[in-house]
Amino acid sequence: MSIFIDRDTPVLIQGMTGKEGAFWSKHMIELGTDVVAGVTPGKAGETVHGCPVYNSVRDAMAEHTIKASMLFVPPRMAYDAVMEALDGGIKKIVMVAEGVPLREMLLLRQACKERDALLIGGNTSGVITPKEAMMGIFPHWIERVYRRGSIGVMTRSGSLTNEVTSMVVKSGYGVSTLVGIGGDPVPGTRFAEMLPHYEKDPETKAVLIIGEIGGTMEEEVAEVLASGEFTKPLVAFLAGRTAPTGQKMGHAGAIITGGKGSVEDKAKALEAAGAKVANRPREVGALLESLGVEKDPD
Amino acid sequence: MRLHEHQAKELFAEKGITVPASVLIDSVDDVDEALETVGLPCVIKAQVLEGGRGKAGLITLADTVEKARSETERIFAASPKVKRILIEEAISIEKELYVAMTIDATSAKGLLLASREGGVEIETLAGVPGAIKRVHFDIREGVMRFQAARLGFDLGLEGAAHKGFVRTIMALNEIYRSFDCELAEINPLFLTKEGSIVAGDAKVMIDDNALFRQTRFQQIEDTDTDEVEKMAQEEGIPFIRFDGDIGLMCAGAGLTTTVYDLVNYAGGSVANYLEFGGPNYHKAVKAMEICLKVPSKVILIVTFGTIARADVMAEGIVEAIRTLKPDRPIVTCIRGTNENEAVEILEKAGLKPLFDTEEAVEEAVALAKEAQS
Repeated sequence: MSIFIDRDTPVLIQGMTGKEGAFWSKHMIELGTDVVAGVTPGKAGETVHGCPVYNSVRDAMAEHTIKASMLFVPPRMAYDAVMEALDGGIKKIVMVAEGVPLREMLLLRQACKERDALLIGGNTSGVITPKEAMMGIFPHWIERVYRRGSIGVMTRSGSLTNEVTSMVVKSGYGVSTLVGIGGDPVPGTRFAEMLPHYEKDPETKAVLIIGEIGGTMEEEVAEVLASGEFTKPLVAFLAGRTAPTGQKMGHAGAIITGGKGSVEDKAKALEAAGAKVANRPREVGALLESLGVEKDPD
Repeated sequence: MRLHEHQAKELFAEKGITVPASVLIDSVDDVDEALETVGLPCVIKAQVLEGGRGKAGLITLADTVEKARSETERIFAASPKVKRILIEEAISIEKELYVAMTIDATSAKGLLLASREGGVEIETLAGVPGAIKRVHFDIREGVMRFQAARLGFDLGLEGAAHKGFVRTIMALNEIYRSFDCELAEINPLFLTKEGSIVAGDAKVMIDDNALFRQTRFQQIEDTDTDEVEKMAQEEGIPFIRFDGDIGLMCAGAGLTTTVYDLVNYAGGSVANYLEFGGPNYHKAVKAMEICLKVPSKVILIVTFGTIARADVMAEGIVEAIRTLKPDRPIVTCIRGTNENEAVEILEKAGLKPLFDTEEAVEEAVALAKEAQS
């Protein structure tokens, strides 16, 4: 079992003929993802890794059953491309683009809510179930990070995902499904909104959240935990505990302003709701163990 | 990008928000001429981007020409960041209100905020229950007139004041929508003794991701950007200077922030935050050149990249060491795509690559302490 995608999810790739699109769709296929077609306006008739390319989502849908779309399109075209996927009735969309304007992100989030669709990203590595399938840009062949197991991982940061997940694997755990929520202030889907999916997934025994300063996504997770709607053990690692106020540390979403969004506040809220919060990446494994999460056998 | 007060007020005036008469000057010699337009008493306001100008003594009132001159001179001298001053007509104030338009990421809606208790920092208001009224609006429609009208009545405004308030909100709404604002705030919004509504201040922040279509305003720099910061900016390399011992040269925002934490936990201190991941992963030479211009004792390189290939970064680091001949120790911890090749490259160049972030941090902290003694 996995959440979001498995080997039986037929995936469309918008922007497949581009350099990045072609490179990563190859790795998606190698992992086992069922990539069925690509879309690049004006490139109908070409094939990439054996997959036919169409001019539009509508044309691709006419020839194939498609359940999810992976977008390798530049940030200024991302809004239109997501709307085209939604127009085709696709309910699962992953967008890696970094730098989509806030206004478009709000519009996309609203459009997805209205259509009951799930948009992951932007500014994300995507979604992966190790040894199964992925929509995104993960080095799935690095075994000390992408080991299959029972821990659901959600993250706001790509570089930190490798760092923290390698510690999870070192402690004897593996990953059920990893969802890169993304580093922007307005992601398509928020941490708390993925929790029901992990709650329902029998393979996921616990969830690890890789968060950071800024915004309120970690606090929303605490609310869901406190409400009793999520019942599995939850551990969080939060970056930026010693970060100075008012200083943007890299991610657009990561800034402490007006005394809000500090790691201290987030950790307090999560711990009050029953979660464990790691100060360092290497503490994550021990915290999972302290919550009684069994290790994943080889 | 944050606009200066005078830039934001230019927008306000254009869209129909009443602002005090004002003149922008860049020298104390222009005070007399400015006063001919503005009159006395006047308010003298430093045009810098940071908040808390009042507390910092960068906003002051003058009721004579002499005082206007001397205060202008004092404010220009107060900080090298003060390059321009706004001389503004003083308003006779009945009450100070607060209004702002921003986004609510959770509900994916716009958010209009207002309070009868303006003139203070919004954080102070947030602690007072009921002090701030919140109105969510559809991002496609913007604020509707009935919402603005209702909010005005909720704030206890009536007659001409209410009319002025609604006009102000609808104009702010137009600015918020047409200029891709992350925030459009008026604090204080004056209710004058004559019952009109006037914007006392103006804080407008434009979404950086939308700057490609918002070309009207150029950022007027008010920071003392030094040579090193300029170099990083030109390369598009995120860089922040601190005053500690360890120069960070890491990849990825989250990982660099985590290494920053780990250095502090280990009893070390950070000399600079620098991130050469993502699109910058082939810029190791430039990144190290920047790090070497900061007076640090050790350079700590930590990466765990995907697209940012470890072998490419390792080659860049070796090249940087060869050409720049760094005068201080370098600790490396390079992992991710093609990490085995990276280790080989680093070892061949005589480096001792580490594989664990915390081990690398501890090594860097120890080397920094050694250099101190």
